[in-house]
Order: sequence, then C-alpha cells, then structure tokens
Amino acid sequence: MTSTLNDSATSEHPITGGGDTVFDVRDVTLRFGGVTSLNNVSLQMYRGEILAVIGPNGAGKTSLFNSLTGVYTPQEGSIEVRARAGDSPTSVIGLKTHVVNRLGVARTFQNIRLFPALTALENVKVGIETRQKAGPISAMLGLPRQRREERESTEAAYQLLHRVGLERRANDIAGSLAYGEQRRLEIARALGTSPGVILLDEPAAGTNPVEKRELATLIQSINVDDGVSVLLIEHDMKLVMSIAHRIIVLNFGQKIAEGTPEQIQRNPEVVAAYLGTPADEVADLDLSQPELHRIDTGVSLDELVGQSSEAEHGATEHDGGTPR
Amino acid sequence: MTRPSDLLGRLLACLGGALVVALMWGPQEGNFGDFWFAINQSIFRPRVLVFLALGVVVFLAMTFWPKVIPYLTRPGVWPLAAGTLTVIASQTLMHWADQLGDAKFGTVASAVADTNGISPVASAFFGGLCWAQLVVIILLVGTAVIGGLRNFGWAAAALSVVAAVIAYLAHAAVADKARYLGPDHSLGVYVCIIGYLVLLVAGLVTAMSHQQVANTRLAVNRALGWRPGLPLVVIGAVLGIIAMASSTWFSPANLNSTLADTRSRFRGTGLAPIAVQYLAWLGWALLAVSVVLSGVASYRRIRPLGWAGAAVGWLGVLLTVLTLYRISDLGADKGQDAATGPWQNLGAGGWMACAALFLIGSGGYIAAIAPRYAERTAETDSDAVASGRSASSAFLTAPGAARSGIMIAIAVALFYPPTANGFWQSVLVSEIGIYVLLAVGLNVVVGWAGLLDLGFIAFYAIGSYTTAYLVGSLPVKPPSWLQMSPLLAIPFAVLICLLAGLALGAPTLRLRGDYLAIVTLGFGEIIRIVAVNADQVTNGSQGPSTQVPHPVIDLGPVSITWGLNQLQYWYLLLVFVLVVLLAFRRLEDSRIGRSWAAIREDEVAAQATGINTFRVKLLAFAIGASTSGVAGVFFASQVGFFTPDNFVLNNSILVVAYVVFGGMGSLPGAIAGAALLTWMPEFLKDQVPAADRQMWIGAVVLAMMIFRPGGLLPARRRAVELAGLQPRSTRLEPVAVPAGEGM
Repeated sequence: MTSTLNDSATSEHPITGGGDTVFDVRDVTLRFGGVTSLNNVSLQMYRGEILAVIGPNGAGKTSLFNSLTGVYTPQEGSIEVRARAGDSPTSVIGLKTHVVNRLGVARTFQNIRLFPALTALENVKVGIETRQKAGPISAMLGLPRQRREERESTEAAYQLLHRVGLERRANDIAGSLAYGEQRRLEIARALGTSPGVILLDEPAAGTNPVEKRELATLIQSINVDDGVSVLLIEHDMKLVMSIAHRIIVLNFGQKIAEGTPEQIQRNPEVVAAYLGTPADEVADLDLSQPELHRIDTGVSLDELVGQSSEAEHGATEHDGGTPR
Repeated sequence: MTRPSDLLGRLLACLGGALVVALMWGPQEGNFGDFWFAINQSIFRPRVLVFLALGVVVFLAMTFWPKVIPYLTRPGVWPLAAGTLTVIASQTLMHWADQLGDAKFGTVASAVADTNGISPVASAFFGGLCWAQLVVIILLVGTAVIGGLRNFGWAAAALSVVAAVIAYLAHAAVADKARYLGPDHSLGVYVCIIGYLVLLVAGLVTAMSHQQVANTRLAVNRALGWRPGLPLVVIGAVLGIIAMASSTWFSPANLNSTLADTRSRFRGTGLAPIAVQYLAWLGWALLAVSVVLSGVASYRRIRPLGWAGAAVGWLGVLLTVLTLYRISDLGADKGQDAATGPWQNLGAGGWMACAALFLIGSGGYIAAIAPRYAERTAETDSDAVASGRSASSAFLTAPGAARSGIMIAIAVALFYPPTANGFWQSVLVSEIGIYVLLAVGLNVVVGWAGLLDLGFIAFYAIGSYTTAYLVGSLPVKPPSWLQMSPLLAIPFAVLICLLAGLALGAPTLRLRGDYLAIVTLGFGEIIRIVAVNADQVTNGSQGPSTQVPHPVIDLGPVSITWGLNQLQYWYLLLVFVLVVLLAFRRLEDSRIGRSWAAIREDEVAAQATGINTFRVKLLAFAIGASTSGVAGVFFASQVGFFTPDNFVLNNSILVVAYVVFGGMGSLPGAIAGAALLTWMPEFLKDQVPAADRQMWIGAVVLAMMIFRPGGLLPARRRAVELAGLQPRSTRLEPVAVPAGEGM
C-alpha cells in the first residue's frame, strides 16, 4: 500500500545523506473507538530538514502531530524523539505533553491557541519561563535570582517578538492582534521554549499572500539560522513546494507517498488521492498545474491568480535549488 | 412606540414594586397577627413618597431609556449620579450625631427643630435646606449636560462647595449641642461632604467639557496625572485644617475639646513638653510646612523637595500619635472619668490629623518617585485608550494615580478604626479583616488559577484547630516542648494547611470545572464533620475546651499583649494582610502568575508550551490554603473559643462570592469585595429586618453580575476575557475524539 520512493526502513537522509533522525515513527496506529485515525504509519524525520505533511482533510495529519507531542497515545507502534543533537532517543508514547515539550518539541495549533488575555510579550514569556527555575518563594520575596530571570525572559521575549516582526505590539493584548500576527506570535511562543524541532500546524491558514511569503522566509530562517528542524502541515501547495525538503502524504490515516517535492508532484497516487480518481487514470497529471491547486487547497480566487504563474516558478526554482 | 395601555401597566407595575420595597425596607415592627401595623408603619408615613418617586424614576428610565443613553456618555453624568447617591445615602441612612442615640438624619432633624438656640444654619439645613441644595445642584448640572450650558456647570461647582460648608456647619452645631453626651462617632457629615465633592467634580467636568475633556474618566485621569502627588496634598490639607481647627481631640468626662481647648485643659498639668508644643503650635507648623514642601515639590516636580515633604509629613504622623498618647495617658492618670489607660477618650480630630499628615507626606513621596516628564508623555491617556491594553479600564492609569489610591486606602485602614465605635471595631476585626485575608487567599485559587474551590473554609478550620492544638486548648495536648504562643504557631499552621492543600489537590486536581468544585465541597464538609465528631481530639461541637490565649510578644523592653481591645488585633491583622498582599503582588507578575493565567486561559496550549499544569495548579492550591492558615491562627487566638459551626459550607460559598463580586483575579477587587460584602450585613442590621438581610445582599450581588460582570474592580486579564475580544471559548473539556482534528 505504501509506495515510498525511498526505503523508509533505512535511516539515510535522502538528500543530505545524514543519518540523524529527529522523529523515528514506526508502525503507529491510533484509533478512536471504531475510527482509525492513523493506520500503521511509519516515518523518519531527519535533523535539520523541513518536512511537510500533506493530505486531504481528515487524512490524519493533526492526529499525527498530537501523537508526536503526547496529546494522543497511539495504541500500536513506537515513536522515538531526539529533538536536539546529541540527545538519546526517548519514546514519546505515554509521556505527558509538557514533558515532550521539555524534550525539545514545540508546536503551534491549527486553530490558534494563544493566551488571549495576556499581552503578546507575556505570551512569549510564558514559553521562555517554562525553562526557568525560580520558584514561588523567590517570586514572593523578589530574590535576585528571580529578578535576573525576569530580566532575561523579558529580553529574550523582545528578541523573539522582533524576530517575528511583532515588537511594536509587545504590550497589546494577544486577542486583539490580527490573524496573521497571532499565527506569528504562536510561533514566537513555541520558539521561546528553545526547541530542537518545531511542529507547525497550518501556519499559513488565513493569511494573505504577502504574509505567506514572510512566513516562508521566517520558517526557513528558523530552520537555517536556529538549526531547528521543522515539521509542517500545510494546505498551501505553493508554500510547501517552495520550502519543504521532503514531503509525506497521508490519506485516510495511511502514508501513501514520501519524497522530494518534485517526486510528490509527479506521484500518480497522490494526485489520485487529491482528485478522488483511480491512480492509472491520472497518471499523466501533474500537481504543479494550477487547476489542481484549486481543487485540493480551495484557495480563494485572488490567491489563485497570484499562484498560477508562480507555481511553475516555485517548482522549477526548487528543482535547481540545492538543499543543504 | 408603546401603546398607552402598556405604558399605564408599566407605571402601575413600577408603583406597585415601589410599595413592596417600601414594605420590605424599615424595621417591620408588626407580625402576621398585626399586619395592619406593618402597613401603617411603611405606607402611611411620608417616606412612602420617596419610594413612589423611585418607582416613577424607574418607570421613566424604562420608557425613555433609548433617549437617555446618549446623555449617559456625556462628561459629568457619572459623577453626578455618584455624588447624588452619596449625598442621599448620607442624609437618609447615616448617623449625623451619634450621641443622640439612634440618630439617623430624620431623628436629628426633629431633634434640632425642637431645640432652642440652635444656629440658624443648622435648623435651616435640617429643616429642608439639605434637600433643596441637592436638588438645585442636580438641576444645574442636568441642565448643563443636556443643554451644553457650561456656565451652569461652574455655578453647580460653586454651589457644591457652599453646600458642603453648610453641611459641615450644621453638623458642627448639632455636635456642639450634644457634646455633653460623649465623643461623636457619626460619619454622616463626612460622607455628605464627599458626596458634594463628587458633585463638584461633576460641575467642573461639565463646565470644562467639549474642548478640554472627552469624558469623565479621561478628565479624572488627566487631573490625577497632571501633577502626581498634588491631589493627595490637597486632600490632606483640607482634612488637616478641619482636624486642627474644629474637630474633637480629647473628650474626658464627655467634654468635646478641640485642639485649642485641649491645650488650655492641660495647662500646668505637667504634660510632656513635646505634646504641649504640639498642641500650641507644632501641629499647625507641621501641617503648614509639609503642605508647602509637598505641594511645591509636586507642582514644580522637584524630587528632593518631595522627599523632604514626605519626611516632614510622616514624622508629623509619629509626633501626632505621640501627642495623642501623652494626653490620653495623662488624662487617664488624672482620673477625670472612667478611663483606665491611654488611648481612651480621644476624639476623631487627632486621627484625622494623622491621616492628613500621612496623605501630605505620601503626596511628597509620590512626587519624589514620579517619572520625569519625558517618560510620562510616552504613555499619555489617549494612547492608552487607543491601544488594546486599556480594553479593560483606562481608569487610574495616570502616573501616580494608582499609588494615590493605595495611599488613601492605607490612610483609611490606619486611622479610621480608632475613631469607630466598639461595634464597628469588632466588625472590622472579626468580619471584614479576616474575610479580606481569606478572599485574598482564595483569589489565588479561583481568580488566578481558575479552579473553583468550594471547600476553602476547611483550610481555615485546619489553621484554627492547629493553633488550638499547639497552644494546648484541645483535649489532645501537644508535648510540652511543642506548646507555644499563638504567634509562633503561624509557621506550623501554614505548613499544616499547605500539606492539607497538597493532600486535597494531589488526587483531585486532575478533575476539571464542576467536578473539582464538588470534590472540594465534599472536602470542606468532611473536615467540619470530623471536627464535630472526633470528640477525643477536637472536643466535638463544643470547640476547644479551654480558651486559646491571646498573642504575646515579650522581648524584654518591648512587650505587647493582645486582647485588651479590638484595635490591637486590627493592626496585627493589617500587618498580615499587607505582607500577604506584597508577596502576592509580586507573585502575580512572576512566571508563576503568568503560568496560572496561561492554564486558566487555555490548558492545552499551556501544556504544549511546557507548563506542568498539574504542578502549577497544586501550587495555587497550596498557596491559597496556607493563606487561610494564617487567617485561622488569627481567628483562633482572637475569639478564644470557636466551634465547628464557624466553618460551615455557607462561609466557603460566601468567600467565593466575595472574590467574584470584587472581580476575579484582582487583588484590590478581592479586598474591596470582601470588605463591602462583610460590611453590608452589619450595616443592614439596623436598617432592615434580620431575616431579610441576605436577600438584600443577594440583590446587590445580582445587580453587580448583571451590570458589571467583571466585578467591582476587575483584573486586566479577566476584563479582556469578559470583553470577548476572542469569541471562541477558552474552556476545554477533555476532547478525546478527534472531532474535525480540532487541535
């Protein structure tokens, strides 16, 4: 059933050839009553890559995220994480969410989950401060250590806000920010926990084309400058094709394809999954064609106009580009 | 528009409602057998007209509400309403001369009318002028607001000052007539003057509206922020002059003496020189010097001068207290009346002077630490209003304004209680103070961490019983080396309560919302029932078998024994509350406080951000529990004897109500809520029948929840939640099913 273009059992990075996995997921099955959300899914994520997970709605992408972060506990299979280089592999199964986060796995949510009544700065500080040590006694007495940590977290939070372009809104209530700003604030909060790998759940949903370009730059900067591996769920094919090093395709809880963007675009089974037609009938279709974007992403008309010309461009750009 | 018959029905309903309220209000001296008497009392008295008038007002408000709304936002309307209500309350509900016994305003009025030789101002004031001047001011401000006639605003402002002076003179005349009856504890005139000052603000705001001020809140903010510290200096100066010039300082043998009278009374009695000098000129000098120093410092923004003003003002407080001690001590020695020691027979004047000097000094202090002008302009009012930050409330955001508010609160807490009578002093200690402490503790659990705890009073009980055990008042005696004085028991009680909090929290905090509330409710009842039934340990429903002793501090030269009067306990309690408040304020702004806010807002996101939600919730539980442990120690040693009935479920629910009423998650709110709702039943005691008291309190809580759901003084974070900037629910019940991959 799984038609991988690389042998998933080997721990060889298909592009860089590195053998260092961040996530090693083997044969994971997650069920809710009679519904099988993930069916025997195996995947490897390698250190330093941007790995995208795509698939139609209900394919199990977010369930995968929730299994990786300890929100859900899969019934079968194993998930091992080595978020930061040099960590020893740790099984995520059965761990609590905050413990997984402390292992270096940060995430954002599909429907934004900020702390809406706190300011933008406070939101980021909450993330940073989960790594601090000062307890309630030193907080109540205002001990030097507490003050130092407070100063440090404020500085770090301002830097992160600057990073995502929100430093001017530091003291505004998070709930009052615009949609795109909230998405970026969520990323800043996740980065505040100094992760080794960040899981972004549809970071571009509901953002405009300009914001999408900025987001692509930001994700690449997080990946390159901070050395954080990125696992990305995204419906916007242009974004995925332009920044992802590798793509995994899920459909009905199963992995149906895995490979570089250009391989995925030409994979008949992927095209079939998106169109709902048998694979042999669409063998000669190509995902880089604009009509298909309309079908699978449901993008609005104005986005489509900007996209139709750039989609080819984005794909070819990647063809020539050399991943690190 | 509504049909005339509907309008008629509505009017009749309003008038009927007014009659019902008129029947309910008042002493209700009849019974079911003597039904006619009650009706006679309540209806065939002129005061039924007041209630009927209220009914008409409600009718008009209901009918013309859409037309009224645009006017409500105009500058000056809210202070007009607040001032009017304050004046009416002071004139209908409060004592104007305590010596005359049950002297509400009405009784005073009739007493004055019957008195020969009373000053014409007083007889006019009590004979109807009081209402006339209020009505004129309301009409003036109302006309100014509706018609945009700013001169009327100026006139109303001027008239408010005149009215306040008349009220003061009238009260002084009555107090003078009744001076042979003892110290005057009445507050009516002061509340009345405050009401007129609010009306003064209404007049001024109306007069300066249009160009200068957009709305009342902004105007108040701007006035307070104009010269940080100056408002306090002005208030202090006014208060100081009243205190020095006319108030009672000393009243042995029920002779009310002002500052000058007291001086002549003590001439040649060997009073300590410092007190003599104070009475002669030093008091006035301290007042004048501190007013000048602090006033100039705040006006010209000279920081060193501000420190000087603070030093003189606060030193003046100490000297005043010393003087009061000297004169009352000597007065008691001379045996002029039944005084048994110092601090007796003192009038309100000395304490008012203390408050005045304290406020003036605080004004200087605020001027000294105020941000420089350049820093100040970075955060102007309009910016604050425009940004989302002030979505909650732009009130008291001006620099120094919040500090001014805190200083006034401290001045009241320090210097009001000595002037209150014995009844109110005991209410302050055993009701208001204790419940403020409990509410502040519960605020951590309910307000900050968002965990509904309905068994909070159990920790209070544990603290009380721990104290009783440690001082040896329970049937089970501690080993002799462990037996100790109540104050030393505090750390132990805190520790035990903390452990109890952990013991309750560890198994139950995995529950959420309603389930947690039920479990904590059960815990509270278990503790109480154990206390009732464990005869061998707790002495059952009798409570501790021997009295829990009063605290004693004995450090050789300094030796304090509590229990002589309520005031001592009040100041001890004040120390506890202040320490707890300082600690909690820091906690709120620390990583712990932010973690609490985070789990309250979105627990899933908090976990994903690395917060150990279980541990953080447990911490909130433990901190809340240990606070009530402190309250328990205090309670046990203050009352001496207590029973399990002091820890019934009702009290737990009341504490939750105080926190919610004050504004969840807000420290000032918790204090204000607890203070107001514990004060109210005591106040209503002689206003309405005992059985009706809870109903009136319920009505107040209901009104608050309808019109101001955030509570009295809502916390910024909570206010944003209630304002609904984020329409989606932040509450998350366990979502085990992947409903549309909702994560």
